Order: sequence, then C-alpha cells, then structure tokens
Amino acid sequence: MPRALVVFAHPVAESLNAAAHEIVLETLAARGWDVDDCDLYAEGFDPVLSGDERRGYHAVETNTAPVQAYVDRLRAADAFILSHPVWNFGYPAILKGWFDRVMLPGVAFQLTDGKLSPCLDNIRKMASVTTYGASQWRAFLAGDPPKKLFKRAVWGTVRPEKMRYIAQYDMNNITRSGCEAFLARVRQEMEAF
Amino acid sequence: MRALVIYCHPKEGSFTSAVRDTVLERLTASGADIRLRDLYAEGFQPVLTGDELDWYLDCERNCAPVKDHVADLQWCDTLIFVYPTWWYGLPAMLKGWLDRVLLPDVAFVMPKAPGETISKGLTHIERLGVFTTCGASWWLTRIIGAPGRRTLMRGVGFLLPTRARKVFAAHFLMDSAGRNALSRHLRKVGAQTDRLIGGRRRLSSAKTAPAT
Repeated sequence: MPRALVVFAHPVAESLNAAAHEIVLETLAARGWDVDDCDLYAEGFDPVLSGDERRGYHAVETNTAPVQAYVDRLRAADAFILSHPVWNFGYPAILKGWFDRVMLPGVAFQLTDGKLSPCLDNIRKMASVTTYGASQWRAFLAGDPPKKLFKRAVWGTVRPEKMRYIAQYDMNNITRSGCEAFLARVRQEMEAF
Repeated sequence: MRALVIYCHPKEGSFTSAVRDTVLERLTASGADIRLRDLYAEGFQPVLTGDELDWYLDCERNCAPVKDHVADLQWCDTLIFVYPTWWYGLPAMLKGWLDRVLLPDVAFVMPKAPGETISKGLTHIERLGVFTTCGASWWLTRIIGAPGRRTLMRGVGFLLPTRARKVFAAHFLMDSAGRNALSRHLRKVGAQTDRLIGGRRRLSSAKTAPAT
C-alpha cells in the first residue's frame, strides 16, 4: 500500500485548516493510501535547530540522530502533503523548523563539491494545502514566498511526478460558502491525487 | 535614532555574530540608542499556541505573553534583522518572532469592512535593515525566488511607511567562502548600515526640496 506523509501545522481544532487536514486524511485513506498523520502541534515538535545541531549539520552519518523518527517517516513516504496556514508570508515557525531540522543534508539533498543534488526520490507526489490571510494580489506583490519555497525549493529536492498547490487566499474576507468551496476543492484534489 | 536589532543564530562566534557586531558598531558610532534581542540566548519560544490564536484579535491579551518584544517594536524607529538563511528562509526561531510579535493592532490593523485588506501598523518605523548569509549561490537563491528576503523586505516592508528606507545584504555560498570574501562582506554590511542610518532621509528631503 503506498504511504502518504501528511505534515500538519495548525494549533486550533476548529480552524478551516484543521477541517482541510481532516479531509486530506480521510480522502487519501479512502483512496487506498496508508496515511501517516504528522500533526506537529499535537506531537509537540520542537522547531528550534540547536547550536549542536548546527555544528553537526553537514555530518550526514550523525546529523539525523536528534530527529531520527521524523527522518524515517519521510523516507518511508511515497507522497508528501503539507497542510498549514501562511502567517506573515511564510510557514508557521513549527513547520519552518521541521524543514530546518528534518530536511537535512543526506536526507533531502546532497552537497558534493558545492553541487546540490536531490535525495528524496522515494516521493512521487506532493501537495500543499494552505490558507493565506492576504489576497492573491497582495501575496503576488510580496513574491509569494511560501509558494516559491514549495514549488521550487521542495520540488527541487523531490522531483515528483505530480505536484499540486491548493491555496485559499484572502481568509480575512472569506464567507461560509467560500470555506465550503475550498474544502470541496481539497476533497476533489485528494480524490484525484 | 532608536534601533532594534533582532539577532538569531545558535552559535556565538559564527560569521553571523560578526555581522551583528559590525552593525552594532556602526549604530553605536552614529549615536543611536540600541536594543539588541538575541533570540537564541534568551530562549525565545517561537511556537504560536492555540490559546494565542483563540484570542488573536484581542490586542491586550495577545500582547501579554510577548509584551517586552512588543514594547521594543513600538519603541524603535529602525528595525534590523541579522540571521542565517536556512532552507531559503528564516530560521524557525526568527519566523516565530514574526508570528508571535507582529500582532494585529501592533504591526497591522485588521480589515474594518468586507473586501478590505489589512492596513499598516508599523508606521513609526522609518528604516528596515536585513542582513543574512546563505549556503546557496546568488543564482540558485534568485531562481528559488529568495523567499526569506521577500518575507522580510516585502511582507514586513508592507507594514512600514511606503517610503521607509530599506537595505539588504547577503553573503552567498557560505560553505565555501574564503577569508577575504568574508571580510569584504563585513565591509559591505558596514556600508549598508551607514546607508540605512546616515544622510538625509528621503521622506524629509522630499518635503524640504527647494521650490524653483
């Protein structure tokens, strides 16, 4: 059974993000995926890369030790889904810290003679399910950093066959039917994933 | 001038700490009042909690857990970030400072009517300086779209007055940087800091331009 790692970062159970996350989990499970739900807030993930980790960052034999379980989950995945809000045109700190600490040299990418090469060739599909307070126009003017990080930087270390970016902009002005339409889109995308 | 320096690096003695010292030296020489926040040293907690998000729009309760940081932000007229770029972006520690301190009614004002966007809250800040180091090359960072730079220069920049002065300096390819390149970069950091704090500001110079 193919395995999907869903990395979720939102602290409030009644949020639209939590509802979208639930839909991702149930739709993938119903479509025959073995789903690994990595809820960073619920698991109490510590996002702060320490001084010791920074010193040992490039030692590929030992750098995974502080986060071995998270690395194993990433390596066991055939698909990778991020589910999170955008805050201040970036990932929530808890998710950014997951990148800092888990997407390590030797795990996500290799650095040989100053040349980067991708490592996560186990992952065939990836998706991001996300919400912005800002309008799409304002996010565009800001250069949409979280979208670029996902579609370019993460893409570069995964090189998946399929990539989807499913975003709801302008949450500050969203209506109930807008929320429902977003959730329906998430369901539809996950059914076709 | 009141300068708030937000410094984020886990290792004292790193190149980033040398960048910080260069910035502080120039600020001191200019006679600025300085507040330095070393997020790692003070053990800043970067994770915005569910409780905080529940009362996110209640300014008073919201500020309570980070009131010293909010006071610094409201005090300063010059805001400077010094940090390493990790994964093309801000370290989680610094990203969490944005998440928890740039609050509604502090950094921005929520829309008052449907269809509106948020409005600026940091209109007292006249200067923004961003100093970082990247493992990636200039080219690769550009191809990715420089997410970290844009989060600060544009995302935070949007909350400042439109004509606030902004400077940015990054050293790329840190993993293979030679001693000369690093000292050259420190000189550039010094020059950019001087540019940020020195001379006549464009806002006032526009107002005092002589009529012809």
